[in-house]
Amino acid sequence: MKKLLYSTCILILIAGSLAACSGAGTPVTQPPNATGAPATEAPGAQPATEAAPATGEQVTLTFWHTYNEDSPENKMLVDTVIPMFEAKFPSIKIEPRIEQWPNFMQDLITQISAGVAPDLIRSDIVWVPQLADMGALVALDSAMPDFNELKANMFPGPMSTNLWQGVYYGLPLDTNTKVWIYNPEMYATAGIQDPPASMSDLLSQCEAFKAAYPEDYYFAGVDVTAWSILPWIWSMGGEVLSPDLTTATGYFNGPKTVAAYEQYLQLFQAGCIAPKVLGDGQDTYSGMAGNVYASLDDGPWIYPIVDGQAKGKKLGAALFPAGEAGSIDVVGGEDILLFKQSKHPQEAMEFIRFMLSDEAQLKMAEVGVMPVLSSLAQSDAIKNHPTFPIFMEQLKTSKARPSLPQWGDIDTIMSDAGQKILREEMTAQEALDAAAAEIDAKLNP
Amino acid sequence: MTIKHRITPYVFLLPGLVFLAIWLVYPMGHSLWISLHDWKINPDEISPFVGLGNYVDTFTDSQFWRALKNTSMFALVTTIGQLILGVLVALMLNRIARGKVFFRVAYFLPVVTSWVVVSLIFRFLFNSDPSGMVNYLLVHGIKVLHSPISWLNNAETAWAAIYSLGIWKGIGFAMVILLAALQTFPEECYAAAAIDGASEWQSLRYITLPLLLPTIILVMVMLTIGAFQVYIPIALITNGGPLHRTEVVLSYMYDLAFHDLHYGSATAVSFVLAAIVFVISQAQLRLKRLSYTESVEGGA
Repeated sequence: MKKLLYSTCILILIAGSLAACSGAGTPVTQPPNATGAPATEAPGAQPATEAAPATGEQVTLTFWHTYNEDSPENKMLVDTVIPMFEAKFPSIKIEPRIEQWPNFMQDLITQISAGVAPDLIRSDIVWVPQLADMGALVALDSAMPDFNELKANMFPGPMSTNLWQGVYYGLPLDTNTKVWIYNPEMYATAGIQDPPASMSDLLSQCEAFKAAYPEDYYFAGVDVTAWSILPWIWSMGGEVLSPDLTTATGYFNGPKTVAAYEQYLQLFQAGCIAPKVLGDGQDTYSGMAGNVYASLDDGPWIYPIVDGQAKGKKLGAALFPAGEAGSIDVVGGEDILLFKQSKHPQEAMEFIRFMLSDEAQLKMAEVGVMPVLSSLAQSDAIKNHPTFPIFMEQLKTSKARPSLPQWGDIDTIMSDAGQKILREEMTAQEALDAAAAEIDAKLNP
Repeated sequence: MTIKHRITPYVFLLPGLVFLAIWLVYPMGHSLWISLHDWKINPDEISPFVGLGNYVDTFTDSQFWRALKNTSMFALVTTIGQLILGVLVALMLNRIARGKVFFRVAYFLPVVTSWVVVSLIFRFLFNSDPSGMVNYLLVHGIKVLHSPISWLNNAETAWAAIYSLGIWKGIGFAMVILLAALQTFPEECYAAAAIDGASEWQSLRYITLPLLLPTIILVMVMLTIGAFQVYIPIALITNGGPLHRTEVVLSYMYDLAFHDLHYGSATAVSFVLAAIVFVISQAQLRLKRLSYTESVEGGA
């Protein structure tokens, strides 16, 4: 008996120390929600306006974002944009909070489970369906009376990232895409006149490059996640999922997707793509700055990073090489989301409107944040911007990643398949067949 | 004994028990409750009861078994490595007359250094670049390799980096405890052995090691429990890659909770891991009792 008691105590102590790591929510016996709405209600069906406080009182809104503390974007947000809003709405104070990218979701989940989510966040576009699916977000299309007016002025690509099961849960805050960034000096030395216009140019350009730079790499692939590999798949006419997002079989293992991976493998085997793509190796930006890598598919943030490592370094930019389906890259960017747990949804919506105004968008554009308003596309500030025009051109054909709560899982499966292909553990067809079946199991559990 | 005398000890125990209940028993019970549900992180949603479903999911997931195998290998390799090197260092430090404090501090320093810092340093050391320190030494320093190794891109070499970090960081811990034990051994035993003509090796083999065995087992238990909770070096050096081949139980559990949002399953994994650590620790402690009994009986 004594032994049993002793053993139980030891088990409790060990399990306690381990279980504490896994985090927890609040008990299910709590009331369903603040307004008494049934807990089984469809996500987004309950507008947050019900919980809105009386206007006129001084309120503070928390706004989470991931701009680095010393970045020009953060300085512009904190020193200019937020003060502009607070001057316009003296009764609303914005409390911005910087979250480190890798911890963002973990911190957010902890706050949601404790019932104290921030009022607003600047969210990665791929998190929207996941957060909407867990019932954490306010459906903005029913909560904001002027939603349709706002929506009409947005670029359709970024706008589509807020849609989940026919409901809009957010609005785009900023957008971006990637283009073919290259080192003109290395291209010239290798005798390459222009950046590759089509996929068929890649191998011949790489051969010319390797003749001049046998130790260096024509292209620096960051990894084989969806963000990196989708431009290759889409431009070659391939797909990951069916148009209704219900199946991967026949699409992710279809002939065009297989051909895209095979071409990528061919370039990797020829030493054109840097081994960094498998996970470890010289960082892409320092490699671009140090003339180790000659090309990269990347966004507008590359310029200050490379300039910080090699002052005055010249980089060229062109549309992503076109394949059978054209030049298609991935839409990136962030959306602004309002949480149901916000105690001040009306004031939060005012902040959303302000952040999507011409004045706020143009201010953020000054520090390289691409606006989402179609009304600004033809403005001098955007047309004459030193780097925006090529990205705006690419955005015309770029596509958003499928909007699904399971996207994180699908991305992992895609990355694993890409690794197996590049490591030559499986042929492209075998790896994609297996991955398609795995994705289908995630989509239809 | 008066009632006052009977109650007094419990009054002194009460604050500790309250803390234990709040910070250990309640979270533990709540975690157990979570592990029996398809837990929703949003408190506005109902979490359906699934019974032992999360435990069944854990045992039928091949990724869990791979993570458990990796964790067990990490525990085995690093515990043995730390013990062997810890014993050697402790024996050497016990013999030297000068610089004992310096070496004790030097060997113990990695133990108190942040896991995050040393993991990042090891990631830098084993970087696949030609400029990575280990590659540079092997290719350009001692010239045993013609081209750099892609250390962290292959599971076998990535494990070599992780194992070496685990062993290097824990030698000092084993050394300090073993050295403390060595210093309690009676000099008379060694003097008597010397009079009987025992060599240095025979003294080590027949006096030092048998006396040290219970402490070695104690250290082994502590190192094993610690090794089963390995997470930071994995997260920072390989992040479970390549292809999840360096995934361990805690990184698997973290992904379940914060990537897949399967809180119930993640909590179930924590209880399974606790049970495994408990069984292994019990087996090791039984071994300790056995070795102690044998040494006492042998001595008698």
